[in-house]
Amino acid sequence: MRTFMELFAKSPFTPLTKHAEKVRDVVAEVRPLMEAMLGEDWRAAAEHYESISRLEHQADELKREIRDQLPRSLFLPVDRGDLLRFLKEQDAIADAVEDLAVLVTMRETRGPDALKGRARELVEGIVRTAETWFSIAAQLPDLQESSFTGPEVGKVLELIDRVHQQEWETDRLQATMGRTTIQYEEELGGVSVLFWMRIASKLGDVANHAESAADLLRLMLARGR
Amino acid sequence: MDVIILLALGVGLYMAWTLGANDVANAMGTSVGSGALTLRRAIIVAGVFEFAGAVLVGGHVTETIRRGILDPVLFSPAGPLGVEGPTVLALGMTAALLGAALWLQAATLAGLPVSTTHSIVGAVVGFGVVSVGWSGIDWTTLGSIVASWVVSPLLGGVLGFLAFLVVRRLVLRQEDPVAATHAVAPYMVGVVGFILALTFVYKALANVVPDPHPFVTVLAAAACGGVALLVFRAVLANVPGVGPGMDPKRHVERVFGWLQIVTAAFVAFAHGANDVANAVGPVAAVVGIAGAGFAEVPETIAVSGWLLAVGGAGIVVGLGTWGYRVIATIGQRITEITPTRGFSAEFGTACTVLLASRLGLPVSTTHVLVGSVVGVGLAQGLGALDLRTIRDIVYSWVATVPAAAVLGAAIFFGLRAVFL
Repeated sequence: MRTFMELFAKSPFTPLTKHAEKVRDVVAEVRPLMEAMLGEDWRAAAEHYESISRLEHQADELKREIRDQLPRSLFLPVDRGDLLRFLKEQDAIADAVEDLAVLVTMRETRGPDALKGRARELVEGIVRTAETWFSIAAQLPDLQESSFTGPEVGKVLELIDRVHQQEWETDRLQATMGRTTIQYEEELGGVSVLFWMRIASKLGDVANHAESAADLLRLMLARGR
Repeated sequence: MDVIILLALGVGLYMAWTLGANDVANAMGTSVGSGALTLRRAIIVAGVFEFAGAVLVGGHVTETIRRGILDPVLFSPAGPLGVEGPTVLALGMTAALLGAALWLQAATLAGLPVSTTHSIVGAVVGFGVVSVGWSGIDWTTLGSIVASWVVSPLLGGVLGFLAFLVVRRLVLRQEDPVAATHAVAPYMVGVVGFILALTFVYKALANVVPDPHPFVTVLAAAACGGVALLVFRAVLANVPGVGPGMDPKRHVERVFGWLQIVTAAFVAFAHGANDVANAVGPVAAVVGIAGAGFAEVPETIAVSGWLLAVGGAGIVVGLGTWGYRVIATIGQRITEITPTRGFSAEFGTACTVLLASRLGLPVSTTHVLVGSVVGVGLAQGLGALDLRTIRDIVYSWVATVPAAAVLGAAIFFGLRAVFL
């Protein structure tokens, strides 16, 4: 009697989507945070840092809960390792945003309009990439329901390809921002150059982790079809 | 001596009640949890088909428990126990029933998973060992019974796996799952009908034609399957298809919900066929011996049909008075099993348990169901399965048979002291 009921453990796929939603909330703060920095509104930037920190902490708690519910004795329709790595990459997206917020609020970093323009382009790029990633993560419970087969899988694989494409574009935008920073190195001074480069790097990380997460999902699906 | 018969009947009825109250819940719980059946309909379906299974196919396993485990020759007046032989067997069977029932009660109170099948077989063996020694046990039969305890969950797993693989490939993978469902589902119903009919069509035909040819039996069963197929197709035709804006996946699961009703009935039938023997087998032994005036152990007994019906009725009563509560609890807790999965697991379980019933082998329906569910999980059907359950099942195997054996033997000593 009891044994039979205990056979059914809690599925990780819905909690994974909940975690993804929380990470999406974190990423939603990137544009306002960067706009505050580029508009040199340091008080607003500090407020956004607070929100980001709070949301990232909530995401961490969700991540811990999911891990707690995945003992080794659990049998899953996908590789447990792949799933945990996917969760880690997904969480790393939020971590990157938090690190970015720390950088932005650590110092009042200013720069020429041309550089700020490159920064805005990069922000748009990573936001696009993250949105595509989120549309994939939101499909996890549906994928499980149709047992990782069928027409949905094809659509998700297309989205994964799109994430790759967008991440590549983001890489180029990041490189452009780096070159622009160097162009103005005399005017900015060493410390500002450092911060602008680190900020560009952190923005790029958001897209990188989104791409890694998408790639892990592709691995999970590969076993399914 | 009448006291023994009444005692056996009483405990037998109690065993039947326990079967209805606890065992049935597992099979029907998956259908309630997936939403395929409401609680009320689950009780009705279970009641009707448990009874039918018990009466139509229950005889085979009942005979195994009555005469298969212990060599009846040893209890005849010509055997080592002499004139007292048949009485000893009657006392022993009653003791086995009591021992198994006590073990079940104790384990249930302690919250441990138990198998009625393992308990009764263990208790009978326990009595046998202390009355006619280790050589009195029919080791061939006991060996095949124990083998079936290992094989049946595996077979359930294989069939559950295959069933879901079919669903996955023929339905879920398709571009248009709704059309695929409408095309494939009637055939699945047909297969279920065919297998179900196969188990009792021989007996039905034998009433009309003496010794029907196997080919005729298969043909008759196929005809039943064909009828089921056509009926289901008609049902589907009269159902509104996918409306605009309706999620095709919901519709697929809805149609499989009806399929799951069919397989739930199938499982109830199989369970009745296999488990009624746990209650009725020992009673049949006692009744048979009493009918022969305690002078011999009869080959066949005249009242077996009635006993099966009484056992079946006991199961239904247990189901209706307490079983519904357990089903409701399970149904609430298991929501991960959608109709497509539930159908596959129940199909695997029912086929395995019915096959075992036809072969006269008592198996644990719960363990087979666990095997089937794991099979579905292996085909990527389920979100997460806790395999520690399997470890718990092995523990329960190890514990139940000796415990029930000891209880059966102990109570036998008590009864023998009182009556002989």
